[in-house]
Amino acid sequence: MTKKNKSASQRRLIPTYIFLVIVSFISVFPLYWMIAAATNTSTDVSRGKIIPGTYFIENFRNLISQQPLWGSLWNSFFYAILTTIVCLLICSIAGYGFEIYHDKAKDGLFSVLLLAMMVPQVATMVPLFQMFSKAGLLNTAVGFMMPMISTPFMIMMFRQNARAFPVDIIEAARIDGLNELQIFFRMFIPTMRSTYAAAAVITFMNAWNSYLWPKVIMQDNSAMTMPMLIANLITGYVTDYGMLMCGVLFCSIPTMIVFFVLQKQFAEGITGAVK
Amino acid sequence: MKKRLLSVLLVGTVAMSLVACGGGGKKADSGDSGSSADSNKLTVWAWDQTFNIKSMQMAADEYAKDHEGFEVEIIETGSDDCQTKLTTCANAGDYSTMPDIVLMQDNSYQKYLKSYPDAFTDLSDMDVTWEDFGELKQAYSMLDGKHYGVPFDNGAVIACYRTDILAEAGYTIDDLTDITWSRFMEIGQDVHEKTGKYLLMNQATDGDLMMMMIQSCGANLVDEDGNAFIVGNEVVEKCVDLYAEMIEKDVVKLINNWDEYVQTITTGQTAGVINGNWITATLMSTEDQKGLWEITTMPKVDGIDTATNYANNGGSSWYITSNCKNKELAMDFLASTFGSSTEFYDSILPETGAISCYLPAGESEVYNEPNEFFNNQPIFSTIVEYSSHIPEFTSTPYHYESRECINTAVGNIVDGADKDAALKEAQKTLEFKMTE
Repeated sequence: MTKKNKSASQRRLIPTYIFLVIVSFISVFPLYWMIAAATNTSTDVSRGKIIPGTYFIENFRNLISQQPLWGSLWNSFFYAILTTIVCLLICSIAGYGFEIYHDKAKDGLFSVLLLAMMVPQVATMVPLFQMFSKAGLLNTAVGFMMPMISTPFMIMMFRQNARAFPVDIIEAARIDGLNELQIFFRMFIPTMRSTYAAAAVITFMNAWNSYLWPKVIMQDNSAMTMPMLIANLITGYVTDYGMLMCGVLFCSIPTMIVFFVLQKQFAEGITGAVK
Repeated sequence: MKKRLLSVLLVGTVAMSLVACGGGGKKADSGDSGSSADSNKLTVWAWDQTFNIKSMQMAADEYAKDHEGFEVEIIETGSDDCQTKLTTCANAGDYSTMPDIVLMQDNSYQKYLKSYPDAFTDLSDMDVTWEDFGELKQAYSMLDGKHYGVPFDNGAVIACYRTDILAEAGYTIDDLTDITWSRFMEIGQDVHEKTGKYLLMNQATDGDLMMMMIQSCGANLVDEDGNAFIVGNEVVEKCVDLYAEMIEKDVVKLINNWDEYVQTITTGQTAGVINGNWITATLMSTEDQKGLWEITTMPKVDGIDTATNYANNGGSSWYITSNCKNKELAMDFLASTFGSSTEFYDSILPETGAISCYLPAGESEVYNEPNEFFNNQPIFSTIVEYSSHIPEFTSTPYHYESRECINTAVGNIVDGADKDAALKEAQKTLEFKMTE
């Protein structure tokens, strides 16, 4: 390739880069604004100041004096991690089962499951509440995660990905004397690492951000989660925007970390696990 | 790697079963999550840490002085969340998770009282002189002559003006006191011409200003039987005309949401704000505008016999649920604090800014103290006085629905739609919503 050609092709990329820079700016700006707002007074935020200020400590102090920040963070972490682990285990077993041992009856059952995906969560809230209240599961971690641990979407995702799992391996493993459970734990899970990572990110974020169900079932102050805490910050007659953004910052950091750590696997898992 | 993943999953499963047991244990410790079984403790749902919750906490501390061991557990619950929870409990037919006392918005309460009458306790026999609260305020929490709530937070409407901007245009607060909307419009146009600022702003997405105008005439969007009454309603038509004219003449600036509303105040783009008096807290958070604001009455609608300069927007009251295990204690607690104690109201005012609906409280020294932010006006006693003049009107459980209907109609009219057609549409929509 001559020099001329090279610079011509580079020039052709200029509009693409400009476009990408603009898009990156649009995606990153809200995050920047959140951080800047957390360091300013409420009045400054409302006046549109976007340069970071020196009010962060004050906002933070106000936040912890009004709201149980550490308790809520702990609750959110605890419930979200627990939900993620249990959900991954249950949904992957289900998805694996539907695909590997599939027959007509299971296909029918799977369609019913997909139909269940169409029912919005709010529609099932009253009967769920009734059941959970009678079973004494209000204010418990089990109550929090039970409706979330087996979702049709996750089962479908695992089933789709299990389709790419080579049947030969299973056959070989059976000949080598592994039982079905061992095949699942020793062969399937390690091969499907990236699917698990993608599923973990999605489930963790859903559990972390879930609001309506926890709000109904977690009725104790000590069971408060981060989204509930944020909601409390905007119910007053006066909104302290600086403090609010400080709270939002604390609520966003964990999901950001989870995403960044599992970013590579997430992308792989979404596009297909087995190469 | 395989082993590590496997072990993580196994640990997870074990953790889950542990939590299942642990969770059960925790439940047993804390007892029923709803109303308190402890004979000297009440659970309360309320929102706003610096306002309602703090007031309730102070009331509990006050009451505990004469009642040893008394305490309240306040669970922070936003107004909307409280309604969601109440609806869920009611539909599930299980009130056992409700607290003893719940705070509810005046404008939404009637709907819940009419839909779920068995969720609340009749408080008519409580040791409270009901006449000491404004008539309208009582009406919000009454049904068939029975009292269900103890009025708390005052929602009397005030008009706040930036005196520096008014002075720039050659006006004082007296020029805006007890005036009509037509006069307001004249001044507003003048102010806009001279200073480039608007005399008033309103959220285009909520119909609060329209509702305040209509209700200041003792009218509402329903007739005496509670049916939708928009078409042929003289007051509504007059208010719609005035409102549309104010937008057209650059007297009122339309803005999109609450954040922008606050921004318009903090950046000094508006010379005035008309809203429930709780707006003072937002004004006062902009410290560099100290001394520049003053309050007065809102304008009244021209050409309507029943028109006044007073209205209500917002406010809330305390309710005792039917799930309360210790109703006598709850009633005595509310009666001796929120229901009858001027000392109590005096003590919460400087701490929380919560202005009483209890009319005798307005006469106290604390209420008459000048407020520096409002150029040394004694705003608290003034607000309590305003609240005694607010005319009563036929209340409706469909307050928010009617507000939405009229706001949509007004928005369309401002955008050039035919007035009669828009109002007819609003009437039809509201009638439909009332069947839901």
